[in-house]
Amino acid sequence: MSEIINFKNVSYEYRSGENFHRGVIGLNFSIQEGEFIAILGHNGSGKSTLSKLINGFLKATFGEVNVLGINPSDDRRIYELRSQVGMVFQNPDNQMVATMIEDDLAFGPENLGIPREEITERIDWALDIVDMKEYKNKMPNKLSGGQKQRIAIAAILSMRPKILILDESTAMLDPKGRKEVMATIKKLNKEQGLTVILITHYMDEAVEADRVFVLNQGVITVEGTPAEVFKEVRKVRDAGLELPIPSQVCIELISKGYDIPFVLTDEDLVDALIEQKQRKSKQKPGFKFK
Amino acid sequence: MARDLTLGQYYPVESFVHKLDPRIKFIIMTVYIVGVFLVKHIYGFAVVAAFAILSTLISRVPILSVLKSLKGIIFIVIFTAVLNVFFHTEGKVYFTIGKLLITEGGVFFALKMALRLILLVLGTTLLTYTTTPMALTDGLERLMTPLTWIKIPVHDIAIIMSISLRFIPILMEEVQKIMKAQRARGAEFDRGGLVKRAKALLPILIPLFISAFRRADELALALDARCYNATPNRTRYKKLKMHYRDFIAFLAGAAYIVLIVAVNNKFWIPTLTYSFPFI
Ligand SMILES: Nc1ncnc2c1ncn2[C@@H]1O[C@H](COP(=O)(O)OP(=O)(O)OP(=O)(O)O)[C@@H](O)[C@H]1O
Ligand SMILES: [Mg+2]
Repeated sequence: MSEIINFKNVSYEYRSGENFHRGVIGLNFSIQEGEFIAILGHNGSGKSTLSKLINGFLKATFGEVNVLGINPSDDRRIYELRSQVGMVFQNPDNQMVATMIEDDLAFGPENLGIPREEITERIDWALDIVDMKEYKNKMPNKLSGGQKQRIAIAAILSMRPKILILDESTAMLDPKGRKEVMATIKKLNKEQGLTVILITHYMDEAVEADRVFVLNQGVITVEGTPAEVFKEVRKVRDAGLELPIPSQVCIELISKGYDIPFVLTDEDLVDALIEQKQRKSKQKPGFKFK
Repeated sequence: MARDLTLGQYYPVESFVHKLDPRIKFIIMTVYIVGVFLVKHIYGFAVVAAFAILSTLISRVPILSVLKSLKGIIFIVIFTAVLNVFFHTEGKVYFTIGKLLITEGGVFFALKMALRLILLVLGTTLLTYTTTPMALTDGLERLMTPLTWIKIPVHDIAIIMSISLRFIPILMEEVQKIMKAQRARGAEFDRGGLVKRAKALLPILIPLFISAFRRADELALALDARCYNATPNRTRYKKLKMHYRDFIAFLAGAAYIVLIVAVNNKFWIPTLTYSFPFI
């Protein structure tokens, strides 16, 4: 694995006239190729700012950003960078430029001057990955939110990026749509080796990531695997976040004196409870006869 | 409900008309419109109407759906017709209302204007029914390509058109949602005088604009994220190639305009002039 993104002491300030607004402060991190990163933080904590620093939408006020060997502040290579760093946003309706799905997928590659035959191949490939092949020459109006967002992802994939950033792309979806999109994201990460940066408000999504960054007031306050991060209960709560529900249950149980391990997912919680029960029945074999 | 909006609503079936090159369709549409304004004769109108109806039949779009587009202009048609009746006084007087005369010439002129409007809308509706907005803008862009020589940003204009077409139904739906929300808060949109009604629109317009700007914001980012304007050597996914059928359609368009000119000049039917002097 090689390093694909590197932030060295990066800060960003929004300027409007005389006023300065904190965007992010002193970010230091490195992301490896093929990693799945989740970024958590309450509203205004700087998640979008961080992501925009990666694809050059914003240029760092201080510090150094390096993405795929490119400095996003370098205007000469900005399109090379953006074709490698795909970004998907919140509302799928606002990301489609064409009325026909295949035309929408063609838009990115067209802008990059990719030859027609290759665009055709890419469209088929991208639609296949997001499992929307049969919608190639349909209009997006009648699709569900999850399907629309998968099309939006495919429209980015057709540029063949190495990094995929999703800025709250699941926030507007219903639970079913959210599941579909998450499954697509995981597939892209595992099967296509895409580096994924998922900005989300949902803890159950963050739990799926390799590493989690927690942003609080523009600063990364906790970083690590989901298990490491959510064990920092105080810091997570300080950042205005809640733990994943299974972890909350788990902490509640531990505080009541139960001896179960710290878990993040529903499945693990069920396993832990079953194990706890079995252990109990072993400790007190005669219990049932009383 | 907003989805029924005819503007930019493509009717997806396969047909000769659907498959035509959008450039050819634009050219024929222009010829058709020129024809609509050229005709002076009832037989000329028959030619235009026949052309429109035939095209609709060939396109396999139900005639009823095309006719539905007239709902939106009925008021304008009646208004222009009524106005024109009084503006033209010529020939036999049917009856008088005060100082206003209703004459044979006036009635025919009004009828002609109404027919023109109707045929105009029918033709353009058929174009939008049989051509995807993307193909429309694509065709227009290519027809306008020579204009890039005088530094007109043809491609940007095409993108703006395509995006507008895409967002019209979305924003219409939003209007409905906002209206519902405001109604739930006790707003009334269909009561009171003109001023009161206009005022009632304000609570719709403001949220609509806010939402539109928010959408525009995200859209701008999405365009940038997809490398809009990355290179002047943009490629095109959709190939536009002229086929046999385009040539046939072109001939049909040519025949149409020749026929109209011929009928206008009474080449074939000289006797008609005497029976209907004003048509
Ligand atoms: N264009 C701007 N001008 C001035 N300040 C801005 C601008 N955009 C963001 N900010 C400020 O920068 C800070 C970080 O914003 P950012 O959009 O990165 O947060 P976020 O974590 O993405 O929030 P959200 O969950 O609402 O999307 C906020 O305090 C915000 O007010
Ligand atoms: Mg944000």
